[in-house]
Amino acid sequence: MVSPILLIAVPLGLAFAIPVLGLASKRVPRYVPVIAMLFNLVVSVSLLPHALKAPIVVRTAGWAPPYSIHLVAGPLGVLLSSLIALIGLLVAVYGIDYIREGAKVKYQILYILMLVGATGVVLTGDIFNLFVFFEVLCISSYALVAYRGDSTGVEAGAKYLIQGAIGSGLVLIGIGLVYGTFGTLTMADIAANVSSVGSFRLFVSLAFLITGFGVEAAIFPLNGWLPDAHSSAPSSISAILSGIAIKAGLYAIARVVYTVYGASSILPFLAVLGIVTLLIGEMCAFGQEDIKRLLAFSSIGQMGLILFALALASATGISGAVFLIVSHGLAKALLFLASGYMIYRTGSRDISSLNGIGKRMPIMSLCFTVGAFSLIGLPPFVGFASKFTIVRAVLGTGSTFFITLLAIGLIGTVIEGAYFLRIVQGFYFKPAPEDSPEQTEGKVPFSALVPVGLLAVLILTIGLFPGIVGRVLGPAADDLLDRTAYVQHVMGD
Amino acid sequence: MSFLSSYIHYIGCFSLILIGLYVVLVKPNLIKVIIGINLMGTGVNLFLVTVGYIHAGTAPIFSEAAQQPEGMVDPVPQALVLTAIVIGVAVLALALSLAIRVYDHYGTLDLRKIKALRW
Amino acid sequence: MRRLISLLLLLIVALGIFLCFSGASFGAEGASRAGKLTEDKVNFGRRYASRGLEENKAGNIVASVVVNYRGFDTLGEVTVLFIAAVGLAAILHARREEATPSKAEPASLIVFTGCRFLFPLILLLGAYIFIHGHLTPGGGFQGGAVVASGFLLIYLGCRGRGLRSAGVAVAESLSGLAFLAVALVGLAVGGSFLLNFLPKGSAFALFSGGVIPLIYVAIGFKVGSELGGIIDNLSGEAR
Repeated sequence: MVSPILLIAVPLGLAFAIPVLGLASKRVPRYVPVIAMLFNLVVSVSLLPHALKAPIVVRTAGWAPPYSIHLVAGPLGVLLSSLIALIGLLVAVYGIDYIREGAKVKYQILYILMLVGATGVVLTGDIFNLFVFFEVLCISSYALVAYRGDSTGVEAGAKYLIQGAIGSGLVLIGIGLVYGTFGTLTMADIAANVSSVGSFRLFVSLAFLITGFGVEAAIFPLNGWLPDAHSSAPSSISAILSGIAIKAGLYAIARVVYTVYGASSILPFLAVLGIVTLLIGEMCAFGQEDIKRLLAFSSIGQMGLILFALALASATGISGAVFLIVSHGLAKALLFLASGYMIYRTGSRDISSLNGIGKRMPIMSLCFTVGAFSLIGLPPFVGFASKFTIVRAVLGTGSTFFITLLAIGLIGTVIEGAYFLRIVQGFYFKPAPEDSPEQTEGKVPFSALVPVGLLAVLILTIGLFPGIVGRVLGPAADDLLDRTAYVQHVMGD
Repeated sequence: MSFLSSYIHYIGCFSLILIGLYVVLVKPNLIKVIIGINLMGTGVNLFLVTVGYIHAGTAPIFSEAAQQPEGMVDPVPQALVLTAIVIGVAVLALALSLAIRVYDHYGTLDLRKIKALRW
Repeated sequence: MRRLISLLLLLIVALGIFLCFSGASFGAEGASRAGKLTEDKVNFGRRYASRGLEENKAGNIVASVVVNYRGFDTLGEVTVLFIAAVGLAAILHARREEATPSKAEPASLIVFTGCRFLFPLILLLGAYIFIHGHLTPGGGFQGGAVVASGFLLIYLGCRGRGLRSAGVAVAESLSGLAFLAVALVGLAVGGSFLLNFLPKGSAFALFSGGVIPLIYVAIGFKVGSELGGIIDNLSGEAR
């Protein structure tokens, strides 16, 4: 068995090596992210059977927890790191030819480091280390949103940075309160001691942590940065930001709420927040004329639904949430990647200018349609399976509160269906605008067709055979819910 | 009085944090906002150090074997603050470079006038 | 209006923080008053203070914590600084291409000579700080920052001279890789990332602490070159 720490160390080493490689050859750096993510994908998938048996606890520096930082590669962590590596690999392939302007070598470095940060967040077992990797993820995304130095990118990057920096500060205050109270930073150690201290201080520290991580997870009042950042970044970065980065924030919240604090009393509040986020995201998306802003708002909506499902606190609910993380990650990455070349082709981000593109770019349009249908939740795509699991979980709880919330949430899904169907209808049944200049640079290279096609195939395959992922979902939910087992695995006896 | 003397550190660092937050929330100038973020970061770092402080403690550094560890302050928050300071420097550098580019493009640092992007 | 809402929000935050300090003991000071300071279980930082010297043979316990016990954080921290240096260069990339080379007014002879005289001394001080990081206050980050201040002095006093970007790239790459390599050797030799695998020597000697000085030297080079690169980029001169 390979040590899970290599999932972080090897891509990090490759990223450190890029400046030297870039001096030797201009062409080599663009293939490095592909190698790094291929390595991560192979290792993550090969770790999955081991992690399903028992979480792998990796010590650093040779000291047992809680005296050093350790990684916990449980079913949830390894599933998410596989997802990160998979989407990261496909987007890296896409990025080989897509990135044409700005500091190309630096883009590749930041790209790897962003994925390293996300991988670290889902694997670590130490709350301060979680913060450090979270910062690796956030700071590289600030830089990537603005890396071209154009006016919209810089403005979005500045907004994102200000809100993100405040969020990180709040997380740090929360960590300080936790350390002062328990004298430990190991999540399992905190979890073992949580019941022993008065609850108000716990509540304050939890509030700081949730608010701080909530900025990155784009939960309702904290999501002002997201539409700007996701729409101004290059499409390959938007795909990672929407597909992975915001999920890392949500993962951190879930880990803290469930495993560390076991705080079931705030879950109804989170469920309401989730539904509010869902409705606001979908309603704003409905009025958008810009395709990338529309996709960004749709991400906010989906994050709301995932948060709602996480707040159900039942094994099925969390399985559904993790399933939706997987399906939304694949679908949103596909949509952003496909729209990237459509925008190159038409030279505009207006939805109306994409009319009739189904004839000019048949493969891209078909893949976009697959992604859109999956997001809406139409069978036989993977979105249907994940949303169906969530509905089943809500009905399973039998509580009127959750069922009412779900009923309100379904309105959001209907709105989502309406605007995606409008776009797809435009692709195929509306004539192309007369004055659209045919951009020659819009020729889709092979390196873009492969990842987009593969994502579409994956969405269809997992949708037809949900068992491929479903096998892992149950243990992943237990990983989050079963605190005593988690503490036992990490701390030993 | 005893409350004040035992919590004076916490009062100080949380005042800094709140002042920083106020600056970020109220000031429209991008540079001032960045200063606010830094004020807040300094407050948070002070808070972390304070968590590990004991009354009349010494630095956790041995210069001879005879020294006793009892009077030493907790070394962990100091290590955490080192990390937090470096992260703060990184964010500051990036924020300033963004401010330079914002000024290049818009000719102003007033956040109320920088509105190419709207909801 | 905006001020009022902000103040109200801050008032709520302040009240929450105030209420959470009344109650059970908090932090090391609280543990000290309750007389629990010597119990390892109360606060694992205390364990480092009491056992760190024998475990790592490094006089500076903070260095032990930063490089060994919590070395993984430090790796992340170095990465964050790397990201900032790279990101800043990327954001200012277009600006450097647009900028016309400006004629810098050369500094007066006294300033010029003074800077050239001080520069090697500053580098020496920086190197001293990171080489002795495991014995005295200081370490890789502090030493690296001092080294970078030397480059800042050169920028201020000797216009037109500066870092070669290729040199910066090589230094930051190789020092980062050196840190990782030391950590990975620990994984290969003893099965644990960042393991202190070298003989630890006797405490308070220059050659003590096992891998701690090695890693600190690597960090010193990396931080120095990265901060130097940041200064170089922010100075905004087209070359």
